Amino acid sequence: MAAMEAAAVAAGQDQQPPAKVVERLNPALQQQLNLDSVKTRAISLFKAISRILEELDAIARANATPKWQDVLGQFSMVNLELYNIVEDIKNVSKAFVVHPKNVNAENATILPVMLSSKLLPEMETEDNTKREQLLHGMQGLPVAAQIDKLKTRIDMIGAACESAEKIIADARKSYFSTRHGTNLLPTIDKVQATKIQEQENLLRSAVNHGEGLRVPGDQRQVASSLPMHLVDVLATNDSLQDSSGLYQKSTPPLMSTTAINNQGSLLQASGAQLIGRPAASPSGPTGSNSFDNNTTASPMQYANSPRSGANIMNTPSPQQQQSQQQQQQLQQRQKMLQQQLLSQQQLRPSSMPVLGQNQLTQLHEMPSQSQQKFQSMHGQHHVQFSQPLGAQQLQSRQLTSAAMQHMSPNQMNQGNQLNRQLNQFSSPANSALFNAAQATPTSQMIPNMSAMMPSQSVMPRMQYAMSGANRTLPPQNLSDQMFNMGAANTGGGMMQIQQQQQHGAQGAFGNMQQSSQNMQPGMMTMQNTQQNHPNFQQQRPQNQQ
Amino acid sequence: MECVVQGIIETKHVEALEILLQGLCGVHRESLEVHELCLKSVPNLGLVSSEVRLLCDLAKPEPTWTVRHIGGAMRGAGAEQISVLVRTMAESKVSKNALRLFYALGYKLDHELLRVGFSFQFQRGTQITVAVSCVNKMPKLHATDDAVPVTPGIQLVEVTAPASSENYTEVVAAVSSFCEYLAPLLHLSKPGVSTGVVPTAAAAAASLMSDGGGTTL
Repeated sequence: MAAMEAAAVAAGQDQQPPAKVVERLNPALQQQLNLDSVKTRAISLFKAISRILEELDAIARANATPKWQDVLGQFSMVNLELYNIVEDIKNVSKAFVVHPKNVNAENATILPVMLSSKLLPEMETEDNTKREQLLHGMQGLPVAAQIDKLKTRIDMIGAACESAEKIIADARKSYFSTRHGTNLLPTIDKVQATKIQEQENLLRSAVNHGEGLRVPGDQRQVASSLPMHLVDVLATNDSLQDSSGLYQKSTPPLMSTTAINNQGSLLQASGAQLIGRPAASPSGPTGSNSFDNNTTASPMQYANSPRSGANIMNTPSPQQQQSQQQQQQLQQRQKMLQQQLLSQQQLRPSSMPVLGQNQLTQLHEMPSQSQQKFQSMHGQHHVQFSQPLGAQQLQSRQLTSAAMQHMSPNQMNQGNQLNRQLNQFSSPANSALFNAAQATPTSQMIPNMSAMMPSQSVMPRMQYAMSGANRTLPPQNLSDQMFNMGAANTGGGMMQIQQQQQHGAQGAFGNMQQSSQNMQPGMMTMQNTQQNHPNFQQQRPQNQQ
Repeated sequence: MECVVQGIIETKHVEALEILLQGLCGVHRESLEVHELCLKSVPNLGLVSSEVRLLCDLAKPEPTWTVRHIGGAMRGAGAEQISVLVRTMAESKVSKNALRLFYALGYKLDHELLRVGFSFQFQRGTQITVAVSCVNKMPKLHATDDAVPVTPGIQLVEVTAPASSENYTEVVAAVSSFCEYLAPLLHLSKPGVSTGVVPTAAAAAASLMSDGGGTTL
């Protein structure tokens, strides 16, 4: 009975002590740690981790890439919660002992180690060595002294850390401020800055405006050896005078002696050049060669003109050969006179005929008899024609008339040939000239005159272009042009033009205005002629009658 | 039409700039060697004398010629606000007879220069070309082998992009945003506006040379 009572009491007491234990614990530690809340938090943490594990498992099963952003976010939350719990428990860990509820196989071996308060052997030795290091030389001292020394040491380390952080912050500030353009920059000293400024201005002006790169004309001599890319571009003949663009070549025979304006010769030379070798330009050695070949064969040989074989000029070959000889002589003379010409940049009356004739004398044949024919056809014009010319220009005159002859009977053919040659120029004036000539059949000279007049006006303009000083166009030049165009009954027109010229040819525009009426149809043709070659070729069959 | 900005960079930083451009553009550099002949017409050929540039590309084994005419720049209040120069420009490839042709037309050689350097051409909103070159002058006419730099210590950087009157605003935006990437090394501005060098260029160049590209200083 007593035992049962004791047991009951004990049972009762047993129940109470647990209740009491709980009660005893709670007041003392309630402030520090609320065990219930810890339990709740631990349970929620456990649930969160298990949820994450399930998600990862599902992702792994599906072989999908997890959204690392989300996963990392969840982990960070879990981590934070765990950290908080651990922090809280750390405060009161001395008062508690954690032991598993059930001792089973997995716990049994580790349980004694976990329950022991003694450190593991390795941890103990590590602890000892660290303590040794820390309290080196201080173990003999009293504890208070040790504490002081450790405190000073901590303070020193703290101060060093603070200064390092300050330096890093300053550097960071300056780095960010430079990016925003403030003046906390590594500055360039003034001297260097001004030097760089000068250089920069030099460079920019050189690139954008060419300052400092211009070589004065007198110093412009082509280098002894041209670079590869310019060797075949620039005129390889001896006549490349200076690179200012004015170069002379053994110009067409029309240029013969005196006043070959350099710029006038420019066009001619360029015409010779640009026409190329096959086009028998009377100028230039190459031209003469081709000239020979072509002229000996047939007038139309060189040109792939559809007219070839049709109404080819009736110039007899002996005349051609004779003209060839003349031209060769002229060429030789030209070469001798080139030096003179280089120095002579004067406007001469013959510049115009040179120009016009050059254009026309792209034709390789210039029979001298054409002049005679010309005389028969246009007596009065011939008189006008020859008057202002000097003896020196006689040959050029002949050639001009030769050209004329080509124009007159078979103007269209010649025009075609000329056109072909000139179109190689891609010079609108030239093409205009010859297209105008081409487009006018012999029987329609008068209307063609009007067509030619615009080309004539273009001619002076071209000449202006080539020679800036060539302001005054002597009348005979234009008249030559008229002849070259092969105007049959162009007396009226010529007079008109001459008058225009005598009015002081200020420019093509002046002439144009005066002959505006005539210009109109001419302009039309000009526009046509300035189109592509195919147009031109198409025109030919139309004009061929 | 084209949008263009120019800047200068010291020669010692050109390599760093190349590394930066290589990273920004993603294409390989093309070497640049252009003989530029500037031709001017005589004044009485037209109302005003016109200027035409002939460029001979010597980088390839076969020299190719290009003719370029640079027109007037856009003016007005809108143009003032843009940091990029928008100007008319017409360009065409030509045969090698172009020089002779222009001489025949009455143009004369005004000046010539030789650009040697490299360029990057890439697509970033629009086609952009960045050319870094040393500008050389020739003491004797056409003597490209004897060319000496106009400014030995400074090279020219040019960023160009073709544009049309409809889309030039986008092109301007693309070019200016690209130029911001080059800010650590150089300032870019309209041609004619001088900029000076950038103080951070040395530091930026050092960082580019040591970190990127695998090159060692």
